[in-house]
Amino acid sequence: MTAYFAGIDVGSTMTKAVILGNGIIASVIGPTGPEQRRLANKVMEEALNKAGIPFGSITYIVSTGYGRINVPFADKQVTEITCHAKGISSLFPEAKTIIDIGGQDCKAIKINAGGRPNDFIMNDKCAAGSGRFIEVIADTLGIRLDEVGGLSLQAKNPAKISNICTIWAQQEVATRLSEGVPIPDLLAGVHQSLADRISRMVNRLRVEEAIVLTGGGGKNKGLVKALSEQLGHEILVPEEPLITGALGAALVGREIAENARKENMLLETKERILEEIQIL
Amino acid sequence: MAEEHKDKKHEKRRTATQAAAFITPMVKEFFKDTLRTRAEGKQKLAYTFICCHHEEILRAMDILPLWTENFAGICGAKRDAERFLQRAESLGLSRSLCTYALCGIGFDQWREELGEMPPDAPWGGQARPDFMISSGQILCDPRSKWYQASQQFMPDVPIYNIDLPYPLYDQKRDHRKVWGYYHKYIVAQLRGLVAFCEEQTSKKMDYDRLSELVDLTDRTWNLIHETYELRRAVPTPMGTGDAMNTMVPINFWMATQKAYDFFIELKKELEEKIAKGEGEVEDERYRLMWGGGLPSWFALNDFNYFNGKGASFPVETTYRSVVPLYEMDIPKTKDPIEHIAWRWLWYWTFWYEKARKRPESEPDVERLITWIEDYKIDGIVMHEAFSCRTWHVGLIWQLHQLGKIYKPIPVLTLGKDGKKEKTYRGLPSLILESDIIDITSYSEVDTRNKIDAFIETLESIRQSKAA
Repeated sequence: MTAYFAGIDVGSTMTKAVILGNGIIASVIGPTGPEQRRLANKVMEEALNKAGIPFGSITYIVSTGYGRINVPFADKQVTEITCHAKGISSLFPEAKTIIDIGGQDCKAIKINAGGRPNDFIMNDKCAAGSGRFIEVIADTLGIRLDEVGGLSLQAKNPAKISNICTIWAQQEVATRLSEGVPIPDLLAGVHQSLADRISRMVNRLRVEEAIVLTGGGGKNKGLVKALSEQLGHEILVPEEPLITGALGAALVGREIAENARKENMLLETKERILEEIQIL
Repeated sequence: MAEEHKDKKHEKRRTATQAAAFITPMVKEFFKDTLRTRAEGKQKLAYTFICCHHEEILRAMDILPLWTENFAGICGAKRDAERFLQRAESLGLSRSLCTYALCGIGFDQWREELGEMPPDAPWGGQARPDFMISSGQILCDPRSKWYQASQQFMPDVPIYNIDLPYPLYDQKRDHRKVWGYYHKYIVAQLRGLVAFCEEQTSKKMDYDRLSELVDLTDRTWNLIHETYELRRAVPTPMGTGDAMNTMVPINFWMATQKAYDFFIELKKELEEKIAKGEGEVEDERYRLMWGGGLPSWFALNDFNYFNGKGASFPVETTYRSVVPLYEMDIPKTKDPIEHIAWRWLWYWTFWYEKARKRPESEPDVERLITWIEDYKIDGIVMHEAFSCRTWHVGLIWQLHQLGKIYKPIPVLTLGKDGKKEKTYRGLPSLILESDIIDITSYSEVDTRNKIDAFIETLESIRQSKAA
């Protein structure tokens, strides 16, 4: 009989769930709002529907991300450092360095051959090193977030964006736009500025190949290119970079369950009940 | 202006030792004493800074030192610094300056404006000084400029600035070739301080008493070193959380019998705990070094959070402001001023010789390496306080150098293909980012998220080693 495991990653902007059987059998991505508990229930319910399995058949559930304590049905909370390491290692066994660019923070993680973290560094003090920076700039330029990466690759003469503060950079971009600088050049400049800031942080750890970029930042081709140029290394990106934390959480859950079985220990789990979702 | 911006009560930090728990009431009593002394007017009070090796001179002349950084730290620990910081900002001073200085300047301006203590001043407030003794040492410019700024509100209070340099480290140059010049200069500076104090107190220095106090300080230094070395025990009987209390006698009570007696008691307590196998943490799983940075005084219970995860802190570079005198080769002299000057030079150059023997090393890095080994350290935690560029700027660089030159024991890890892979165990580090007293720079959620991730990393390394 197949054993199922679930990982749920409540990030600052997106909530992600993965159900693992013999491989990933379902994954769901939804926006995180102020009602994290409600969202956690919702994405879990959607993932179960996609997988076509009842909640009670999930052996173990691990939650991760900033909102991990707001997942009422999780059996264990584990930080996103460990979960990203586990998730990325399962997709890229050769990975030694992970860069996670999330909605409101950025992390770099060094991992060993077993997919365990050896060292890490986080920037959570300022939006300038995170996806939020791009969101603000996209909003200023009146373009959709998913257009940003492709447009920036059309740049002929990337603009120099000198402000690293998100708010001041927003003003700088608006000024340069009014001066007639083309949008692709502005976006390429913004990516270079962001890549410069992120690479300075990442270089505090000794970067080793293979490097994998995950989180929402991985969906932005312009940022991947800029970061690759700054670091001087090729950067690998998972097919769906948003779910690696949730995938890792599910894998951590599977490891916990397997260890418990090997040591003949009782696996403590929560009751498999999803709270009723009330629309406020 | 937010003059009523006190934070709600937060959970107090628990101490591992009784000695550390005694510190807070003793410091409170000290503040009451200073206010009483101010009211009686029988003894002179001086604003001054720690780590200037001038305590014996002040005590020998019956001057009561008011440690202004200590008061700012107390405001921070009570989460009541914001109103003083905002006062300083309204005077046109940037928040990016040293927040100890801003807090002190804001407090002084308010006290002088009112002609009495600001409302609900922490622990009764800081008394008005008779004079101020500043010391820029090397780099810490706020220590020279702070009192100049405060003097705007107390123009009748004179300042003496004591300049205490030491030769900077150079891998290729023996500092001892030039330190004779430094010694001569420092002696002149200290004699200048004595003359200033004599003028302010209308008393002559009693050099016999000064010699006695220098001897007491020397004995206390050695005692502190011996006491802290007991923390090498596994499990460690006392951690950095407690050391943030026991820094008080080291830095504020030196040249007093009280400091010496305190460490006699602490040493006894640690010996007893070691004999019983009692640790700071009941089940010590990870031994960490506080590798630099002043703490966030408003968040000291983060140390308890670490403890709750099985992490102890046997050693810290912060506030361990002594090195064993018996390892120094101080020239014999009957002149206590000359002795103080030599001790100063030896203290600041203590790690130079060791660093010179290791390519690419530096004194601060050498100290980290030595203590990593001596105290069996699994990881390093540092705090980058945004407002203290003097001390905190170099921390990341120290970690970087450490990573380049420190090659710990190789370990075998099991790879995905089942083959064993030889790697160096590495020494993970955690850099906390906040400030010494500015609570607006602190996020408990983010800090604890980082701590959780760090503990998981340590556990992962532990498991890899076991494999």
